Amino acid sequence: MTVMHRRVGAPIAVVIAILAIAALVACASARPPKELIEARQEYHRAETGNAAKLVPAELHVARGALDVAERSFAESPESQDAIDNAYIALRKIQRAEALGNAALSMQDKASFEKSIRLTQQELLARSNNKLRTTEGALAKERDSLAKEKETSAAERAARVDAEKKAQEAMDALAKTLAVKSEARGTVITLAGGLVFATGRSAILPGAQSQLNQVADALKSQAEHHFSVEGHTDNQGSDRINDDLSLRRANAVREYLVVRGVAAAAITAIGFGSSRPIGDNKTAEGRAMNRRVEIIVDKQP
Amino acid sequence: MPKPRSRWSAIVIVIAALGCGGAPKPEGRVASSQGAIRGAAEAGAEGVPRATLHMKLAQEQREQALELIKSGENHRAELLLARAEADAELALALAREATAKAEADKVDEELESISKQAED
Repeated sequence: MTVMHRRVGAPIAVVIAILAIAALVACASARPPKELIEARQEYHRAETGNAAKLVPAELHVARGALDVAERSFAESPESQDAIDNAYIALRKIQRAEALGNAALSMQDKASFEKSIRLTQQELLARSNNKLRTTEGALAKERDSLAKEKETSAAERAARVDAEKKAQEAMDALAKTLAVKSEARGTVITLAGGLVFATGRSAILPGAQSQLNQVADALKSQAEHHFSVEGHTDNQGSDRINDDLSLRRANAVREYLVVRGVAAAAITAIGFGSSRPIGDNKTAEGRAMNRRVEIIVDKQP
Repeated sequence: MPKPRSRWSAIVIVIAALGCGGAPKPEGRVASSQGAIRGAAEAGAEGVPRATLHMKLAQEQREQALELIKSGENHRAELLLARAEADAELALALAREATAKAEADKVDEELESISKQAED
């Protein structure tokens, strides 16, 4: 009976041993579910990504889920639990990565905002500098305009004053000499007989007082140009009359220059008998024609 | 000492109890998965393409789990609810990622514009 037991028990033990070995081999060679493979790969990536750097606590949670999945697979490789746990681990790893990326974007945003603030400050400073420069230029311009205004007011006053003085001088002159306003300007007429001896161009001493008055009047109108024109009657040849009229005009010009009238402002010309103002047939007319005219040009 | 027959009977009863889905009803998971899905929806996950997929997965898995609970398969239901919750949480994170990226891009554009002004 004992022998029989031994004979039957031996094959059973062998079968059990074979089954145990087969189970172990099956476990050792069982392929992990694709979810677990993917979770392992994803975790490997996450370890060097934004999740590890910026949200390590979230990645730690994901690591815990992966450990659960690994244990589940080790305990029951073919089970649905192993697949589910690997799936959950994969999602938690992906979540950690997404939160890491969000944290990076938030960091970037903060950095961009800081740069914007700095750039805005720089722009503001630049704008303020520009404003100050413009204000400075405007102030200068205002000062300059005020000065110009002052100057032009002073100039205007001076001109008015000068014109008044000139008018007064001309009015005074008009009391003793013939002064009339014509298209070509103000004409001061000196009677030839009173200023020169017949046929001569030297100024008579008796005429000096009149010429002094003329010189004073001209000096008060320094901005004008003056012309001294010599005229004769028609007695004698034109050549002689032309020459005489020019010499007399020059004599008056030189006298006036000596008395202070600017040489550059005064010219002399002789017209001879070409521009009579009286009748040469009468003694009175001829006396009128013998004359020196000083013209004050209208335009300064 | 119990008789061999009664010992085998006890073992059979325990195995049967385990095999018949003796796990308790996963009430906690039912609530937390619902909360996770609602949270993701409120964060705008349905407007983010990548998040939408996971929202859909979360809803489908949760519905499937609720059916399993009705038929007493509580253990499998709990894992499906955990999967649904993980998908919903991922959808929320993806929505946050998209929002943060969009905000950063917008500020980056503003910076680019203001930098151009500074160069002029």
